[in-house]
Amino acid sequence: MADLQALANAVIKGNQAESVRLTKEALGEGIGPKQVLEDGLIAGMGVVGVRFKANEVYIPEVLISARAMKMAMEVLEPKLAAAGVAPLAKALVGTVQGDLHDIGKNLVVMMLKGAGFHVEDIGVDVKPDVFVEKIKASNAQIVGLSALLTTTMPAMDKTIAAIRQAGLDCKIMIGGAPVTQIYASKIGADGYAADAASAVDVAKSFLN
Amino acid sequence: MTGKERVKKAFRCEPTDYVPWVPFVGCHGGALLKINAQDYLKSSEFIVKGVREAIRRYRPDGIPVLFDLQVEAEVLGCDLKWASNNPPAVVNHPLSNGTKLEQLQIPAADQGRIKIALDAARQLRHEHPDIALYGLITGPFTLALHLLGTDLFMQMFDESSYIKKLLDFSGQVSQSMSRYYIEAGCDVIAMVDPMTSQIGPQQFAEFVTPCVTRIFESIRQQGALSSFFVCGHAQQNIPVMCGCRPDNISVDENIPLDYVRDECLTKNISFGGNLQLTSVLLLGDEIDAQKNAIACMEVAGQKGFILAPGCDLPYDTPIKNLEAIAPVVRDSYKRQVVMTMAARSDEDDRLNLKEYGQADKVIVDIITLDSEACAPCQYMVDAVKKVVPEFEGIVEWREHKIKYRESIVFMASLMVRNVPTICIDGQITFVSRIPPRDELIAAIQKRINEKFRMRIHQKKASLYVLDGGDEKTAMVRERIAQAVQELGAEVQIETINDPDTIYSYGVTPGQTPAVVMAQYQLKSLKQVPEVVVIKEWLKNI
Repeated sequence: MADLQALANAVIKGNQAESVRLTKEALGEGIGPKQVLEDGLIAGMGVVGVRFKANEVYIPEVLISARAMKMAMEVLEPKLAAAGVAPLAKALVGTVQGDLHDIGKNLVVMMLKGAGFHVEDIGVDVKPDVFVEKIKASNAQIVGLSALLTTTMPAMDKTIAAIRQAGLDCKIMIGGAPVTQIYASKIGADGYAADAASAVDVAKSFLN
Repeated sequence: MTGKERVKKAFRCEPTDYVPWVPFVGCHGGALLKINAQDYLKSSEFIVKGVREAIRRYRPDGIPVLFDLQVEAEVLGCDLKWASNNPPAVVNHPLSNGTKLEQLQIPAADQGRIKIALDAARQLRHEHPDIALYGLITGPFTLALHLLGTDLFMQMFDESSYIKKLLDFSGQVSQSMSRYYIEAGCDVIAMVDPMTSQIGPQQFAEFVTPCVTRIFESIRQQGALSSFFVCGHAQQNIPVMCGCRPDNISVDENIPLDYVRDECLTKNISFGGNLQLTSVLLLGDEIDAQKNAIACMEVAGQKGFILAPGCDLPYDTPIKNLEAIAPVVRDSYKRQVVMTMAARSDEDDRLNLKEYGQADKVIVDIITLDSEACAPCQYMVDAVKKVVPEFEGIVEWREHKIKYRESIVFMASLMVRNVPTICIDGQITFVSRIPPRDELIAAIQKRINEKFRMRIHQKKASLYVLDGGDEKTAMVRERIAQAVQELGAEVQIETINDPDTIYSYGVTPGQTPAVVMAQYQLKSLKQVPEVVVIKEWLKNI
């Protein structure tokens, strides 16, 4: 019988080939796609997230784990769709207007995907009205705003104001090197994530 | 000891008279000249002017020529997106767009903005021989990321030998840049490699240590000093950074300074940092900046420490915040004042002293640390003490020692921010300056004259004619009316017939007609005066 713990370990190690092989094997043995996702892939990425927060692993390890998960997801996604398994929630993530930094934003995207969210990455230097437009189009329930510069932090404020003004019913979290919980509260964000792994915790807290 | 000597001694962990202060002025130099970051970072003339202005205002011991980690990347083919109030950002990466590593050449000293930086370095060296000049170079890992993009992280696993070759190349670029800056006269080469904060110590040791160690060794051989700058959450890498044998490690507020101190000093490496860039220097005030500087110095201790911001100063960093730092670095007395004031009260605790100074006497308040313990405070108190008797009782003076909480509240309420300060009737008059006798007398006299004028304008009165039924009452009223008219005085005249009210003035009906005068003085409007203020009024009764 396929070993979902071994699949989780393959994701933790960032072993793409092994992740794909074990996913196929599990599905072939009739294990439900939801169980493969949760007990294999998400379980593996969950461990990576915990280790990242504890400074036991760093960005390169997270990236290769996320890539292993992504390859396995390509096998798994059609099966999930056929079985009617919905993602945890829809999230949309972007770096705010005037800011070109994408490493932090990309990590958040990967970690959210790794936790079972459907994530749309709308890139960097995103204007407030584009956020509004994309949220409307995707019906995202969770929105993540990233900024790395002190000078682009005010664009977060403007983006949140635009989203609120458009009357969109979504939870907004913010993050990035200069951002703090105090700033998040000040501009009316629903949550603040200190790092990519914490972004998953914040996003999950929105679902409760 | 010159600034340069001070920085050099600190780098060698030798004793200094005070901690050297090195503000990392990059695009902020543009703000000092009121021009945008793009114009500033593209002109050696502006860079020289900006650094010159920073030296004049911030009184540093050392300063970088330029803080821009995109200079080398731009020459090597990265496109930049320029901003008005930030350094430029790299927007594409040649090695991920078809360029081969073998095609890249080590930049020459006259290429692109390298020439601008070196011209500025030579000019600044000529103008400021006594300041430690820092040449900033992009660290190999950060430069490699500029060249390849974030694929670098995964390729550390997938194609580690290629990444090692890339880092070897970017290390050679850093080494050449360090040579150019040393030849242009820089004393310190600061290798800035912030992206190493994204990797762990094992990867650091495998990929970064070999090329970086070579760079520091080459700087040493050229007789210059080296500093390894990192910013972000890079605490995990401090031990491996020390292993690369730089002369100094500089960190930002993400890493506890005591940790860096302990790691570095045991290996005889000096260290620097970690003034808070955003929350204090950019968004705080001068007092916040001074408190933060003192906190850094207290944690760091005297040995082998350079006080500096965590990284490139933001363009809009308030000038006054940076100007406030040199005084507390150089003067232990100023540090003591700031620390005492650190316990200053919140806005809520402040007294409403709007009406302070309305008493008949002129009040001279001297806010001191303690005139028995601090010389400037003592001289200021003495100056006031000597002058006051000349006013023969109409001037009172008081000392407020801010070692007591009520004095701190009083000081904050009067908006006093420096010690010692003289306030005359609540107005800040002499700040940190002992006034010459004549000047002090003139200031007090000016206030006496003001009060005199005010009193004439403010006074209103009522005259009560106590009428016990005597026929002379009408005559009294007539004469009062005539006097008021002739003087143009603002006086109300009222006739009182009620025997009880007449008695209340201590007059019997047999003593009428009598005249009682009551003077009124407006003391406060639409507010609740503090008890201390009311007491001042009552003393005049």
